[in-house]
Amino acid sequence: MSSPRRIWNRAVAAGLSLAMAAALAADENEAAAARADWEAPRTTWGVPDLRGVWDFRTITPLERPASLQGKAALSETEAATFQQRELARRNKDRRVADGLTVQQDVGAAYNQFWWDYGTELTEDRRTSLIVDPPGGRIPDLTPGAKDRYQTTRAARAGPPRGPEDRGVAERCILGFNAGPPYTPSAYNNNIHIFQSPGYAVLLIEMVNDARIVPLDGRPHLPGSIRQWRGDPRGRWEGDTLVVESTNFTDKTSFRGSGPKMVLTERFTRVAADRIVYEYTVSDPDSFEGPWTALIPMKRTAQPMFEYACHEGNYSMFTMLEGARAAEQTDAAPENP
Amino acid sequence: MDRYRSLPAVAPASAKVWLVAAVLAILPGAGLGQEYEAPQTPDGRPNLNGIWQALGTAHWNLEGHSAEAGPVVSMGALGAIPGGLGVVEGSEIPYQPWALERRADHAKNWLELDPAVKCYMPGVPRATYMPFPFQVVQTPEHILIAYEFASASRVIYMNRPDFEHPGDAWMGHSRGRWDGQSLVVEVTNHVPGTWFDSAGNFHSESLRVVERYTPTGPDHLLYEATIEDEQVFTRPWKIRLPLYRRLDVNMQLLEFKCVEFAEELMYGHLRKKDGE
Repeated sequence: MSSPRRIWNRAVAAGLSLAMAAALAADENEAAAARADWEAPRTTWGVPDLRGVWDFRTITPLERPASLQGKAALSETEAATFQQRELARRNKDRRVADGLTVQQDVGAAYNQFWWDYGTELTEDRRTSLIVDPPGGRIPDLTPGAKDRYQTTRAARAGPPRGPEDRGVAERCILGFNAGPPYTPSAYNNNIHIFQSPGYAVLLIEMVNDARIVPLDGRPHLPGSIRQWRGDPRGRWEGDTLVVESTNFTDKTSFRGSGPKMVLTERFTRVAADRIVYEYTVSDPDSFEGPWTALIPMKRTAQPMFEYACHEGNYSMFTMLEGARAAEQTDAAPENP
Repeated sequence: MDRYRSLPAVAPASAKVWLVAAVLAILPGAGLGQEYEAPQTPDGRPNLNGIWQALGTAHWNLEGHSAEAGPVVSMGALGAIPGGLGVVEGSEIPYQPWALERRADHAKNWLELDPAVKCYMPGVPRATYMPFPFQVVQTPEHILIAYEFASASRVIYMNRPDFEHPGDAWMGHSRGRWDGQSLVVEVTNHVPGTWFDSAGNFHSESLRVVERYTPTGPDHLLYEATIEDEQVFTRPWKIRLPLYRRLDVNMQLLEFKCVEFAEELMYGHLRKKDGE
C-alpha cells in the first residue's frame, strides 16, 4: 500500500508543516486515506475497483493566489474566512444594487442556481491544487508557448471573427473541466469510471466525453494521429491506475501546453468514498518544468445525465451575429 | 396494441407461415435450439465487451433503396449513395399518412434538416448503425456504449426498471436487463429532434425503442430494435441487422469530434469576411 502513502508524503513535501500534517492526520477521512491497512476493494478479476461516479468539486484554486504566497495550507479559522470570502466573491446573484457595474451584472448571465463549483477547500485546506512545484503555481511558459498564448489571448479579446476565436468549451468540443486533465470548474464536476477486463473508461459529465483507456500494454498511436484528448494508455502501479496520454493536437492547450505534452494521471482509491486524482503535466516545449496537481474525488450516489452542448449552442450564433452587427454599427457614418 | 389508430391487415395464414419459415431459415440463432452461447464476463453474463460496427447502408435509409447520386457534385462516385436491401422487417415503415408527407419533406430538404449533418448526437437506434465503430464496456450495474461518431455515449442502467429520467436526452434513457443470451434495453426519453437515417425517417417525443443485442458467434451480434411511436406510426415496427466485431490489430475508437467539421456549415455565413 505504498501509493496512498506516497501521495500523502508528496502533499507533506509540498509545503505542509509537520504540525499541520499531524493535525490533518487527525481528520477522520484523511486518517482513512493514510491508514496503511486499508485495502481498496477489488473487481471480480482482481484489480482495484474504481467504478462509480466521483465528484471533484472544490474551491481550492488550481494555482495559489499571490496573496497566499508561501502558505500551502490554511488553518481551520483561516479556511473558514477564505471560504466565506470566496463564496461571496463568486456569488452570481449580486446585481447592480449590490455594487456591480451594469457590465458586470450583464456578464453574470447565469445566476447562482447554475453554478456548482463546491463550497469548500480540499479537506487538507490547501491553497492550491498544484502541489509541485511547491510554490503552487504553474511554471513559467517557454518563449514559444508565450507567443502561442499571446496569439490566443488576442483572438479571444476581440469580437470573434469566426468560431475558432472562441475557446473549445464554447465551441462544445471539450467541456471546460474536461481537460485532459480534469480540473474543477464552474459546474458538472463529475466523472463516472467504468472498468472491464483490459479497459478503464473515464466518462466526464461535461459533453459526455468518454476516454477509453486500454490497459493491455499496447503502444501509443503513431505520431501522425493527433487527438483533442490525446491518446491514453493505462497500467497498474501497485493499487494506482496510471494513465499516460500523448498525441495531443496543436488546436487546444491546457494552461499553455502544446502538442508534445505528456500527461500522466494517477487514480488511487484511498478510502471507500475517496479517490486521489493526481496528474503531472510534462511539456518542456511549453513549460520551464513539469508540474503536478492533486485533486480529491468523492464518491456520489447521484447519476450523471447527458450534457448536450453543441446541440443547444445558440450562443455561438448570437456571439457571431453580435460581432458582425457591431462591425456594421462601427462602420456606419455617425449622425451629423 | 389497440392504441394504434389502424392495425395492419391480417395476412392470410399461409403467408404468415411462409414468412416465419423464411425468417427461421435466414436468421442464425433464431430458434431451432441452436442458440450460440457467448463467453461470460467475470460476473457470469454474456460478454458483449468489444468494439462493434454495422456494415451496410441502414444509415442512409432503413428501407430498401437503389443506389443514387450524392448531393455533392465534386465528390462524384465517392459521394454517391450505395443501394441497400433495407433492415425493416416487412420492408416498409408503417407511417401515418401525415407522417409520410413529413418524411417526404425531410428527404427533399435532407441536408438542411438532417441533425447528423450538424454533428448532433444521433440518438438511438441511429447511433448503432452509423458507419462508425462503437465500444461496449460492461459492468454489472452499468453498460457503457461509447460511439465514435460525435463522441456520443450512453449509460445503460442494468436491472433498475424504476429508475426514471428527469428529462429528455439526445441519446435517450436506457434501462437494460438480460434475457438469456440477449441484452435487452428499453430506451425512452428521446428528444424529438433525432432522425433514424439520412432518408428523413423520423419520430416524435413519444418514441420508445426496445433494443436486443444477441451474440450469434464470437464476432457477431444480432441487433434488433422495436420502434413504437403512436404519434407517428400505425403500429410498432422492427429493424434487425448484424453487428460485426472490429478485428483490426490494436483496434481502438479514434476521435471524431465532428463539431469542428460542421462549424463552417453552421456558422460560415457569420464569419468576418476577408478585408473587413
